[in-house]
Amino acid sequence: MKEYAVLAQDHVKVDALEKVMGTAKYAADYQMPNMLYGGVFRSIVPHAYIKKLDLEKARALPGVACVLDHTAIPGKNRFGIIFKDEPCLVDDKVRRYGDAIAVVAAETQELVQEALDLIEVEYEELEAVSTFERAMEEDSPKVHGDTNVNVTKHLEYGNVDEAWETCDVIVENTYSTHILSHMFIEPDAGLAYLDEQGIMNVIASTQNPHYDRNEVAALLGVPQNRVRVKQATTGGGFGGKLDISVQLHCALLALYTKRPVKMVRSRTESTMVSSKRHPMTMKCKTGATKDGKLVAVDCYMTCDAGAYSSYAPAVIGRAPVHIVGPYDCPNVRCHAVFAYTNNPMCGAFRGFGVPQAAVCHEGQMNALAKALHMDPLEIRMINAHHVGSVIPTGQELTESVGFMDTLKQARDKAAEVMPEALERLKPE
Amino acid sequence: MKRRGTGVGCMFYGVGNTGLPNPAAAFVQVLGDTSVHVTVGAADIGQGSSTMAASVAAETLGLNYEDIHVVWADTMYAPEGGATSASRQTFITGNAVKNACTQALGELKRTASEELNVPEEDLIFRDREIYSGKDDSIRMTYPALMAAMGKKGRLAVGAGYYNPKTTYLDPKDMSGVPYELYSYATCILEVEVDTDTGEVTLLKAVSAHDVGTPIGIKMVEGQIEGGTAMGTGFVISEKIDIDPKTLAIKNPTLSKYIIETSMDVPVVYPIVVSSEGEAGPFGAKGVGEPALIPSIPATVAAINDALGTDFTSTPIFPADIVKAWKEREAAAK
Amino acid sequence: MNKITVHCTVNHKPVVVETEPNKRLLDLLREDLGLTSVKEGCSEGECGACTVIFNGDPVTSCCMLAGQAEGADIITLEGISVDGKPDLVQQAYMESGAVQCGFCIPGMILVTEALLAKNPNPTREEAKQALSGNLCRCTGYTKIVDAVLLAAEKMRGEASR
Repeated sequence: MKEYAVLAQDHVKVDALEKVMGTAKYAADYQMPNMLYGGVFRSIVPHAYIKKLDLEKARALPGVACVLDHTAIPGKNRFGIIFKDEPCLVDDKVRRYGDAIAVVAAETQELVQEALDLIEVEYEELEAVSTFERAMEEDSPKVHGDTNVNVTKHLEYGNVDEAWETCDVIVENTYSTHILSHMFIEPDAGLAYLDEQGIMNVIASTQNPHYDRNEVAALLGVPQNRVRVKQATTGGGFGGKLDISVQLHCALLALYTKRPVKMVRSRTESTMVSSKRHPMTMKCKTGATKDGKLVAVDCYMTCDAGAYSSYAPAVIGRAPVHIVGPYDCPNVRCHAVFAYTNNPMCGAFRGFGVPQAAVCHEGQMNALAKALHMDPLEIRMINAHHVGSVIPTGQELTESVGFMDTLKQARDKAAEVMPEALERLKPE
Repeated sequence: MKRRGTGVGCMFYGVGNTGLPNPAAAFVQVLGDTSVHVTVGAADIGQGSSTMAASVAAETLGLNYEDIHVVWADTMYAPEGGATSASRQTFITGNAVKNACTQALGELKRTASEELNVPEEDLIFRDREIYSGKDDSIRMTYPALMAAMGKKGRLAVGAGYYNPKTTYLDPKDMSGVPYELYSYATCILEVEVDTDTGEVTLLKAVSAHDVGTPIGIKMVEGQIEGGTAMGTGFVISEKIDIDPKTLAIKNPTLSKYIIETSMDVPVVYPIVVSSEGEAGPFGAKGVGEPALIPSIPATVAAINDALGTDFTSTPIFPADIVKAWKEREAAAK
Repeated sequence: MNKITVHCTVNHKPVVVETEPNKRLLDLLREDLGLTSVKEGCSEGECGACTVIFNGDPVTSCCMLAGQAEGADIITLEGISVDGKPDLVQQAYMESGAVQCGFCIPGMILVTEALLAKNPNPTREEAKQALSGNLCRCTGYTKIVDAVLLAAEKMRGEASR
């Protein structure tokens, strides 16, 4: 590595001082004069039409500034990072437990809760689609439109079908990974207010301020330069704060009340409605020569993406590209199908489908090592990406391929700090 | 009975969005006293993108880290940063900062060249000084340069952006260039499994990550240590439970969704591996997500190694382990 | 609801505050006293973000009522720094690279202060044990434990001066 004047050293991070002093302002720490508190009335059923929604008792409660449903939205009521399929407030039907139906702004947090308790709703419940398999059946209820297929992808490289003949060993396994939560320690929070120029200001815990700005502008039907989103100091994200959380609801309430409105989600609400990690099933067949060289990989990947798209199209785009792992393989096929269900919405979570793919490709490498009586490190070294490798999209890697060094340096460090553990990897 | 096992997990990770444009931008101004404003759209969620921006700006401009002040993620002032996702900010916002600083350097180089009588291409900006690469006795301080800039009515300002060199992928077979660069990692992890209780103790993890050029060593190590905690927890303690009727999350709290404490995490030995490349700023690549990934398959493999099982599904909870061990024992008899 | 009056010492200063009897200590500190370094992460005493030092011991303020503060000596992160500058523990956290998102940090630092007041020379294991009630999702705790040990070293150095 080159000698740098500044890089590759340790400097105190630019935000460390305010964080150790306790002065860093997270979204919940903001207070403004005349500020209201906001809250969301959410569905407690997973799939239903709303037959009746009565907001009047909540509106009549003293100290309640306003109670709004979707009819109050001046602009667009559909948002989402890739597909605009999620409403700010439900207008046609509920698609998951926790869908936002109405919002309340009141003088205190206690009054917000009282008002939410006064909202009455009648549902006409629909069959809830709770599995990928049910989602794909012809007679299943459709969560959106006329199909539950959210996205499909197909990767094809080389000639997988002909390659099996040249394999000395073939391993076939089905891998499945589960649904997880980011559990950032700071629950979602934010506030919105109109400034003296009439610009809608939103301060929020977010990973995505420019996207948030565009969504708020669309919701309000104003130009993007009439909205300002400022990221508050943010208490972790891991992908879970890429989607809209409180930004739209706060802005809508601030628009109607002309007062600052703050929303701080409880841990339960935050976890209940923020995105989750996509659970995936990967049926994978992998072939190699007796020397351990990969010859072919064929994977069929399915996923229950939940009620809204969120980042599913990004996850399904990434996982197939990574399905072989950091290894050379001349013949690859991956077919992926993601479906809508009425389950919690899955979205971005640290790795975008690559952790799931890694469970599969590393499981297959270990299965091959076992079948061939090889050291799992050795089989990885035999197949490792290097400068000049071609990945299954046909892209040649021309620089910065340090994989072999990670293998060697990890092995050497393990020999030093956990020699018995390393020894255990050797085939019996 | 307590049994130990070792697992290996590797990964590669394409940095940035898959086969899509995903630019980010930065603004910079070197002020008269050599302090600097850098403004980026990138949201810093604690991973350190603002520290990265300060470091890249200082390195590019030849100033000290302490000279840089970063404003971030305020759409009123900051240009598009794109999402803080896909481990992309070091690569993309980092390049944007470098490009903005390079633009600001244009006037700085012109002025220094005039003052020192050295061709622009021979000038080196480093450690708050400007000198000739051919004869380092010919030099001036940064404050002197800024004074000369002031006299000539020149400003050191720059705006830059970067969009990774990718292509859209062919919808038929996904062929194309999905990412401009890739990070790599290997994790070797040891566990101890109690076959009676199913409890897994995470012992040690070595995790080596090719980050190209590390922006800050401890920042990279911190990502690896945190990622390893999250990755091992992925396998042995974390799971969202969904009520089959309401499809509500049954365990939305930290008492029912178990993330690792200081007592649960393994001893992590992070290894920062460098590699040569031109794509990232000074060769830097992302590590935010790569930090997590290899410990997941390594934990699965270590448990399988300890027990002689073939778990292919996550999570692997104590009840799963006890059941699998009993079945294995029964099969052996 | 009838209000109650709470007399206590907060960050070395006597405080008399009138508040609601059902209010949590966390809310008393954040809302009535404006001490927003005290963070709310879980509301059930699991995460430790709302930790304060209460009569010398770290407690989770989300699980206590304001009335319980009567007569108590309470320290929040605002009461740790010296003349607006970071103390040795805070410096150690900065230098060790222990701070990522920072939301757990107020609780972590207060636990560290309480630990080092009682045990100026903790082992790595003792430090991990002391921090075990405080969750961090970013760091994997390594550099936070490093910070505790560095702070102890700094404090011993200062004491021997």
